Amino acid sequence: MTAGNWRGSVLLVVLAVGFAGVWQLQHQIDDQRTTLHQERDDLVLRSGKLLKALSLEYTPLLADLYWTRVVQYYGYKRAKHEANFELLWPLLDVTTTLDPNLLIAYRFGSTFLAEPAPRGAGRPDLGIALLERGLQANPEYWRFYEDLGFVYYFELKDYAKAAQAFAEGGKNPGAQIWMKVMAAKIAAEGESLSTSIFLWNDVYQTANDPAVKENALLHLQLLRVEEDCKQLDALADEFQKRLGRRPTRVNELIQAGLLPRLPVDPKGYPYVFGPDGKAALNLDSPLLEQQLLNQSSK
Amino acid sequence: MKRAGAVALNTFREAVRDRVLYNLVFFALLMMAAAIFVGQISIGVEEMVIKSLGLTAISVIGLLIAVFIGVGLVYKEMDKRTLYALLAKPVRRWEFLLGKFAGLVLTLAVNTVAMAAGLFAALLYVKRHLESADAVLLVAIFFILLKLMLVVALALLFSCYSTPLLAILYTSAFYVAGMFVEEMRTFRAETLSPQMAAFLRGLSYLLPNLENFNVMAAAAHGRAVPGALILQNTAYAALYCTLVLLIAMAVFSRRNLK
Repeated sequence: MTAGNWRGSVLLVVLAVGFAGVWQLQHQIDDQRTTLHQERDDLVLRSGKLLKALSLEYTPLLADLYWTRVVQYYGYKRAKHEANFELLWPLLDVTTTLDPNLLIAYRFGSTFLAEPAPRGAGRPDLGIALLERGLQANPEYWRFYEDLGFVYYFELKDYAKAAQAFAEGGKNPGAQIWMKVMAAKIAAEGESLSTSIFLWNDVYQTANDPAVKENALLHLQLLRVEEDCKQLDALADEFQKRLGRRPTRVNELIQAGLLPRLPVDPKGYPYVFGPDGKAALNLDSPLLEQQLLNQSSK
Repeated sequence: MKRAGAVALNTFREAVRDRVLYNLVFFALLMMAAAIFVGQISIGVEEMVIKSLGLTAISVIGLLIAVFIGVGLVYKEMDKRTLYALLAKPVRRWEFLLGKFAGLVLTLAVNTVAMAAGLFAALLYVKRHLESADAVLLVAIFFILLKLMLVVALALLFSCYSTPLLAILYTSAFYVAGMFVEEMRTFRAETLSPQMAAFLRGLSYLLPNLENFNVMAAAAHGRAVPGALILQNTAYAALYCTLVLLIAMAVFSRRNLK
């Protein structure tokens, strides 16, 4: 081995050991910095107008960066199961001021804001404010009316306003026909399982983002559970009429000839009857936690 | 080492001759203007603005010097052909590089200390007194100096095999990437493929993590910085600079200077 080769090999070893040291040190620094990060979340520049002025001709890029920050902030908070989303609105405010035509920021942003904790900020009022701002800047985009109706319907249970939003959106020449159907249906029935399923199904079908799709699917599964439980309760009533007592196990419905087989939830877990005699999710079902979260936020 | 010291001293003298330290006049004017006007146009944030503005100015001015002087350290000597005369003397290439690095770090240290004095003077003018919580500013300034050392090491590495313009681009790219290292590591998995997330995570440990040295928010709010972090950041900067300088020395020693 020549002296040059030898020196090169030694250098490589030193560099490998050195970067391993850097890696080790970085972990220690990360631990220390978490103590500094325990302060409140902070957004130094909250004025979108000022940022717009400062960004010169790079405003769209800055808006994209802020939108990325929104997604990362929301994702981080959800992953950590933190219910405090205090920076969500200022970040969305800055993003949409920088680029009022960033449609995705209004659509997803309003969902992030309106969904109850811990899935979102639990601020449907801000979600509506964001969508109204979006409509002002992009009046031709009828999907904002759909989102508006969605927030009124699911989060605020204000069915009159939800119907009004769908009707208003239905007037848009580009809007799909079901917007008018939804307006009439909600105005007549208020909340109904079929409307809820339709709305979530539309989100599921039209969303491109996997996380949004997954969220819609979860809601659809919970709605199916609700529907299944209603049907099982009806069968239990029938059972009681025939035998004079409530069934304690779903199997009893099969034995009585009311059910052909054991019904299972969308995750494949058989339903059970609770102590109150009502049909419920199996304690082992992963959907149970989500159902309880949903119920606690209502 | 004595020879590297001589090169360092000459590099410092050259920077002084090139009027690099004139930036201090700009800094002094900025601090004076901020101290006088901020109190009149805002309520309750004068102290914070002075601290944030002062630290930002120290960082930005230092960065400009580190990048623009750093990338010319080797190239200028080759362009003027003074390097050949120097290497004909009993000065090894690695000693030359080490001297250049130390010389620019010395320049930056003098510059930073002078600016720190200006910052404390402005703070004294605004608050009429200094308190022990203000000492955290010294930590923030020390961290800025550590960050500048890393930038100088990178600029020196790129100046060993590239033109100044490209070296500026490379150094700036590393600086920007270094500021986003934490984001690279914490990108949500939902928005990235697992392979890309793993790649970015690995890369984040190879790139210099300049965010380690950013305690400006803590300093502006007068929050203490853990002593262990000071030691760890110092060790990190020393180790990373050593590694980058080793690579620079390896590159420069193989470079054909004919």
